[in-house]
Amino acid sequence: MRNLGKLVGFVAGLSLAAGGAYAAEKRLMEDYVKSPMPPGFQVIVTELEGPVFADAKGKTLYKWPIKSIRNGDVGEQKNKPTCDDTVYKVNAGLMSPYPGGFTLPEVETRPSCLQVWPAVYATAEDKPVGKWTIVDRKDGKKQWAYDGFALYTSVLDEVPGDTRGGTRRKEGGDSPAYREPVSPAPAVPAQFGVYSVAKGRFLATSIGYSVYTYDKDTATKSACTGSCLNEWAPMLAAENAVALGDWAVIERSPGVKQWTYRKKPLYTRIADEKFRSYEGGDIPGWHNVFTQTEPAAPKGFTVQDTRAGQVLADKNGRTLYIYNCGDDAIDELACDNPNSPQAYRFAICGGGDPDVCNKTFPYVIAEAGAKSENRAWTPVDINPKTGKFAKPGEAGALHVWAYRGRPVYLFGNDKKPGDVSGDAWGEFNGHRNGFKAFWLRDDFRTNAG
Amino acid sequence: MKHAAKIGALFAAMTVGFAGAAVADESANVIRNGTIGYVLTDYHWALYQTKDGKAECPQGFNDGPREQFKILFPADDGKKRTLLETQLARESQIWHPDLKPEIFTFKEAQGKTGLGMNLDGKVGPNDFTSPDGSEKGIDNQLYRVIGCVANYRGPDGTLYHFNNKFMQQHEYARVLIELTGVDSLVNDNDVTLTTYRGRDGLLTDATGNSFMPGGTQRADHKWGKEFISRFKGKIVDGVLTVQAAEYHQPTTWAFEDVTDQWFKDPRFQLKINQDRAEGMLAGYVDIENFYLQMARAVSTHHQSYGQQSSPSIYRALHKLADAYPDKDGHNTAISFAADVKFVQTFIEHPAVETAAKEADTRPARH
Repeated sequence: MRNLGKLVGFVAGLSLAAGGAYAAEKRLMEDYVKSPMPPGFQVIVTELEGPVFADAKGKTLYKWPIKSIRNGDVGEQKNKPTCDDTVYKVNAGLMSPYPGGFTLPEVETRPSCLQVWPAVYATAEDKPVGKWTIVDRKDGKKQWAYDGFALYTSVLDEVPGDTRGGTRRKEGGDSPAYREPVSPAPAVPAQFGVYSVAKGRFLATSIGYSVYTYDKDTATKSACTGSCLNEWAPMLAAENAVALGDWAVIERSPGVKQWTYRKKPLYTRIADEKFRSYEGGDIPGWHNVFTQTEPAAPKGFTVQDTRAGQVLADKNGRTLYIYNCGDDAIDELACDNPNSPQAYRFAICGGGDPDVCNKTFPYVIAEAGAKSENRAWTPVDINPKTGKFAKPGEAGALHVWAYRGRPVYLFGNDKKPGDVSGDAWGEFNGHRNGFKAFWLRDDFRTNAG
Repeated sequence: MKHAAKIGALFAAMTVGFAGAAVADESANVIRNGTIGYVLTDYHWALYQTKDGKAECPQGFNDGPREQFKILFPADDGKKRTLLETQLARESQIWHPDLKPEIFTFKEAQGKTGLGMNLDGKVGPNDFTSPDGSEKGIDNQLYRVIGCVANYRGPDGTLYHFNNKFMQQHEYARVLIELTGVDSLVNDNDVTLTTYRGRDGLLTDATGNSFMPGGTQRADHKWGKEFISRFKGKIVDGVLTVQAAEYHQPTTWAFEDVTDQWFKDPRFQLKINQDRAEGMLAGYVDIENFYLQMARAVSTHHQSYGQQSSPSIYRALHKLADAYPDKDGHNTAISFAADVKFVQTFIEHPAVETAAKEADTRPARH
């Protein structure tokens, strides 16, 4: 609990977005531990990922940690960057049961890893600072690394604060080796941790149990006494704990101290069995805690109950779906956005036929002139025949909603609000080349993080 | 409940292969207000298997995704192929299956011996007879579909093992049955069985491998409403027989799927005592639901563990479906049977099952 940064305002620069259509939201954002950085780097508190490191232009920094997938490892070990200018032409056969050696879709225009993930190069004059080190690349160049992992930016990020290249959220089994934003430590006492989940940055204990606040409490006094303590356990603070930033300490009784966060005493729920549970927050007066919540979804979108939890849905209550895709080349480039080959998605949602695809998993249409309060949700124009971004004024283009720059979808066979019949649709249960419901809460599995 | 209680009778017949059997009057300890609950601990499709499989699968077992891929796209023929015409074409087949003639030889389970129940009260040409010959007219056409698919065969089939393992492991697939109106676990001519999804882990012994009666389960009235079904029936000589119109059973596998199986005209036939309920669930399963549950829950990689080809199974399901014809006369459901085991559990119904506080119409800040 040292060097706590003060609560920072939302990232500057959103007004630089195309057309200047996005207004910065005024909301509480996550605090972080400030530590020395080399010149030219900064921390930006992003709307989706909380505080992340960025370069001088505000581009988020990413790492590519090694991951074991079915037939081998991909990603990078510490101090060994592998992302280079090789343009891979065939698949690597990493995903059983399919062998390698087949020509990749849109191979003529397939970029190299470095074209999609520009390396953050260091100069001969640069010096390591703390966890910031300089590693040697095979091409002879020097590259910045953090905690040993080589650093890159993403071509998908357009304005400071974008994190469209990747997420810190835990991905499902057999998902590709995704890139992750690199971030400073959250400013929380050692007993606590912050986890990226569907609803935002979730405050919990250091091992993952939910913490809660109680409506009847004040900043200086807990109202949870007597029988209340049979169900709720105060988050006790050490004798020498001190207030700093959003954090303070109250004395429940002589010598017994309790942590408060943003002027609310914190508790765990004794009956919680699962990590990151929302069950305690269902009890009237009690609430889960976030260091920052997700940006607002477009106006009219709804939240629906399902057989396992809650999903984000359109105005008619129909579940939204996200398409996930990483290709099977050794550099595992994303194929989940309209800039990438659409053959993967068309195979899964349409048997190769875009028209069938648009019926099986139709786009979520945005009204003409629809605007978003944030960069997480944006209306985009799509050519439904190609699945690619439409050119300005292109005939037949659809104006659709996108999350993190990727269109979201409905499922044609969902019959009523709360149906999730399109969830896990595609290769490796929808994690690899397929669709997952837009889970906000999952009381049984880990779909919502 | 009209039937007089016969608590004094013993479950002598249940002692064979039925650990934990006890004298009936001890059941008063677990029957509270005419109610007793059980939780599912084992679930397997009922497949009649001979030791070497040659009787029911004389042509051997089926090929799976890996074998079919090699036939379609030989690695040694010198042809250069694209991902689109190979891997993605095969995945297209899985997610958009068709009823074109099967290009591979699909091996259906053969013979007249099978497990299950006579669902329609008839003895038809494709029906089975139980191994001991005591029951004829058994309807279990799903066995013909999956009986020669190695993944489903016990005890080594990957699905045979892991379907059960993940059911035991994940609360999403926790199945509770609650018997109400019970005067006796031996004879009672009017009982109601209600299914619920449970929210708790199974109670095991110290080894962790055996499931114990006497645990507690919270019935899920918040997210699990679609899994609540009511069956009506009776208990005769310690055998419970109940039937319903429809039943959705939660299912899940390894990678976060939250699927279900949709049973029509289901019935349980279970030998019950105060500790356990064991026997069979049978009925008809919607073939589109069966197929998509399989595809969504079990990836092509995992299907390859046991030569399980989704496109081939899809065609076989449609060929062998035997009930619920649509307006064009095509059957939409297939008869099935499953071996099931339950242990007694105390089922709690939360007094106030708090709905999610956030109304559907709230602004979707999530």
